Amino acid sequence: MTTYLVTGLVVGSVYAIATLGIVLTYSSTRVFNFAQGAIAFALAITFYELTVDHGWNPRWAAAVTVLVVSPLLGLVLWAILFRRLADAPSSVRLVSTIGLWVALPPLTGLIFGRDERFAAPSAVFDPPHQYEVMGVGVDSNDVAVIVVAAVAALLLTVLLRATPFGLSVRATVDAPSMAATVGVNTSIVSAGSWMISTTLAGLAGVLLGTQRGFTLPQFTLLILGCFAAVVIARMHSLPLAFAGSLGLGVVQELSKSVVVGDFLDQFFERQSVWIRGLPQIIPFTVMLIFLLAYRGLGQERFSTDTRRADDAPTVEDLDGPPLAWWRRLLPVAVVVVCVLAAPLVLSGLWEGIAAKGLALAIVFLSYTLVAGSGGMLSLCQISFAGIAAAITADLATNHGVAIVVAIPIAALVVVPIGLLAAIPSLRVGDLYLALATLALAVLVDNTYFELPSVNNFDQGVDVPRPEGFGDDLPFYYLLVACFLVVALLVRNVRRSTTGLELDAMRSSEQAVATIGVGIVRSKLVVFGLSAFVAGVGGALFATYSGRASPEQYSVLLGVVWLAVVVTWGVRSIVGALLAGLSFAVFPQLASEHLTGAWLELPTVLFGLGAIGLAREPRGVVHQIVHGRRTQERARRQRARLRATPSPVPAGVEGGGA
Amino acid sequence: MSPRLEGRGISVRFGGLLALDRVDLEVADGAILGLIGPNGAGKTTCFGVLSGLVRPQSGQVLMDGHDVTGASPQRRARAGLARTFQRLEVFSGLTVREHLVVAYRSRGRNVATRIALDCLGAGRRPFSGEDEAIETILDRLGLTKLAAAPAGALPLGTGRLVELGRALATRPRVLLLDEPSSGLDADETAALTELLRSLQAELDLSLVLVEHNVDMVLGLAHRVTVLDFGQVIADGTPAEVRASEAVQTAYLGAAP
Repeated sequence: MTTYLVTGLVVGSVYAIATLGIVLTYSSTRVFNFAQGAIAFALAITFYELTVDHGWNPRWAAAVTVLVVSPLLGLVLWAILFRRLADAPSSVRLVSTIGLWVALPPLTGLIFGRDERFAAPSAVFDPPHQYEVMGVGVDSNDVAVIVVAAVAALLLTVLLRATPFGLSVRATVDAPSMAATVGVNTSIVSAGSWMISTTLAGLAGVLLGTQRGFTLPQFTLLILGCFAAVVIARMHSLPLAFAGSLGLGVVQELSKSVVVGDFLDQFFERQSVWIRGLPQIIPFTVMLIFLLAYRGLGQERFSTDTRRADDAPTVEDLDGPPLAWWRRLLPVAVVVVCVLAAPLVLSGLWEGIAAKGLALAIVFLSYTLVAGSGGMLSLCQISFAGIAAAITADLATNHGVAIVVAIPIAALVVVPIGLLAAIPSLRVGDLYLALATLALAVLVDNTYFELPSVNNFDQGVDVPRPEGFGDDLPFYYLLVACFLVVALLVRNVRRSTTGLELDAMRSSEQAVATIGVGIVRSKLVVFGLSAFVAGVGGALFATYSGRASPEQYSVLLGVVWLAVVVTWGVRSIVGALLAGLSFAVFPQLASEHLTGAWLELPTVLFGLGAIGLAREPRGVVHQIVHGRRTQERARRQRARLRATPSPVPAGVEGGGA
Repeated sequence: MSPRLEGRGISVRFGGLLALDRVDLEVADGAILGLIGPNGAGKTTCFGVLSGLVRPQSGQVLMDGHDVTGASPQRRARAGLARTFQRLEVFSGLTVREHLVVAYRSRGRNVATRIALDCLGAGRRPFSGEDEAIETILDRLGLTKLAAAPAGALPLGTGRLVELGRALATRPRVLLLDEPSSGLDADETAALTELLRSLQAELDLSLVLVEHNVDMVLGLAHRVTVLDFGQVIADGTPAEVRASEAVQTAYLGAAP
């Protein structure tokens, strides 16, 4: 038991170091860094390469990685990305660091190669001294990690409380534009915060790597733990972040202990998914509990003056004069003709790839609903797709239900799950929603998808194609038809009263409430619909593949999905289609023409695309359709409207008393 | 007969600050109530409480004698309460006309029917009477020419008119206006005053105005309530308020 306490404190300390970085940059720049774990990974690999491949002394390598490479990486990332996010709409702020999260690990692979990495020599004591504390063997490196975390937390606290830099950071947190007018250099503040944050990421990365190995799953687990700790800290409290991280680490490790195992055995079958997945489930269960428990979070929305000055209108408002009808319809027509004619020119293999892309495109339409119209960044659409696929497979294969009946049933079953996922969004802002949906996706991944009946020894369960559509060609056109039907549904919703209400809600929830529009209702409607659409798409995807295997619906893949969709344009139906097709086509192209680490190039591109939103928030499709010149026109129109005097109301003399 | 809107002993505390301290106010049928006071007196917070966006620590809000203290902003809106905002809250992605459409449609059809219609593509069709009602409001506010303009690009004064139009489109019985004249010049303010007076009479509205422009309020309102540091320091007809010593002290510092 005590052994787990020690390892728990060590893991918790590593969480704490990385978490402090996330809290610092969120406080000072309002950008939530989803990529902290990915940055830690990249820096840990740098350390590994320096020691193992270049034979550096581990202590030197660690010092150089943490004190030189890390802040430099922070500075570079600030210059090319984070700097631009200050004025970006909040959705873009969220999505760009998600893009970085997607792009950085494969980029690391491109730079350093994708070799197996084993243990590296410890950066502190090699070999470690062994102590005995209360009958438990403690290793000097464990102690070092805990001490380093405590020192880092202390230094950061001193830095923020007792230095001029700290004062500037705190001023910028409260009122960025005001701080700027009294002479705080906000660029230095934000660049400094990012450099400190990446330094902490580097430190966490090196420590985690030497303790647990240099594999990506370890780092994914790290980042998931950090997110939970950040929520416990309510995004801003350093002491709570520190304590929360340690607590999480301890609880997570304790869950592996024999005592807990024996206790749980009374309730579950031994080796059931509930016990095996526990370390992964805990951080996110804790996060969900805290999200629901923190009462204050939801009220931010309605208090009178929490809208920050930096939420001023952005590029999004510059819609410009409406385009001529042919310019709006032309891209749609071109894409539809291409999709319909594709099988005439494509070989059998590519026809299959295109079909896969179409199925994905249907899933991606769910993002068009929930994120595009609803303005809610959901990271669990892939879980809806996966659950529906699994249910479809179960119904069709094990219960003999016809596939055309099974798919709608499965999609309907997912709707209540979608409504459940929407609950946090009713009370808390879009960042918390992203985290809560991520939590849900991790839960589904580690529980439902691990059930033997679903997972079937990683084989998945077979899904038959509908009768008469067994061949690829008819199935392709079936998918085209399904896509068109779902696209029509999405378009109808967007143009309806509900769509109008959602558009309004993205600007001002207060105003929407006071004209009597139910915010809760509208959000639930759009979330439920999006779950249905994701379910249909996921089930069709499984039907195309011939089986529903959970590995095709993993959380991290869902994050990549989101990156692809936003790159093409989350508000655009054509964008969803192109996103689906490119998600199927690019990896195939890569596998035909590239080898080794370059196979991951498409993922890098998808990630970079999402990062690129910092420049053009509405995605590639919008840019193609509207073009740069239209945006100039929009800017001019806006200037003209601003210049016109407000109209003197008519009927003043005529009416009334 | 009970007043259309009434606040009884409303107190709101933000941390250590007592923003409203046992405030009473009432708006009778078809009356115009002015709510004035120096900066930070609690006027906007008071609107927050009346419209349901801010929950008071104690006190009651009543509409037509029914207690709505715990009711959501939406329920109050459906009961006939509408408001505008001091800091513009227009929907930047919508056109001027769409603002009115959203507001107009917030009353009507039950949810299930509407979702079904929305998915089938029938959700675009205007409700009965909608087009005329909206054209009338646009016309009255002089916004007809700007109907198709995106609201995010409009200047402040026009934005205020859009908010007013949006509030009117909900077919309110009580209308709360938070500093409608700020951002307008003298002529525009005069036109707005006339407009409000005639709208009030035509639509049988009860109006509550928060204003910095004291002359405008005293000229327009039937009754005036004066707030200072969260407390009601005067309440009466414009003439009484103008003569009140407490009000002069609050606005001008120490009494002469």
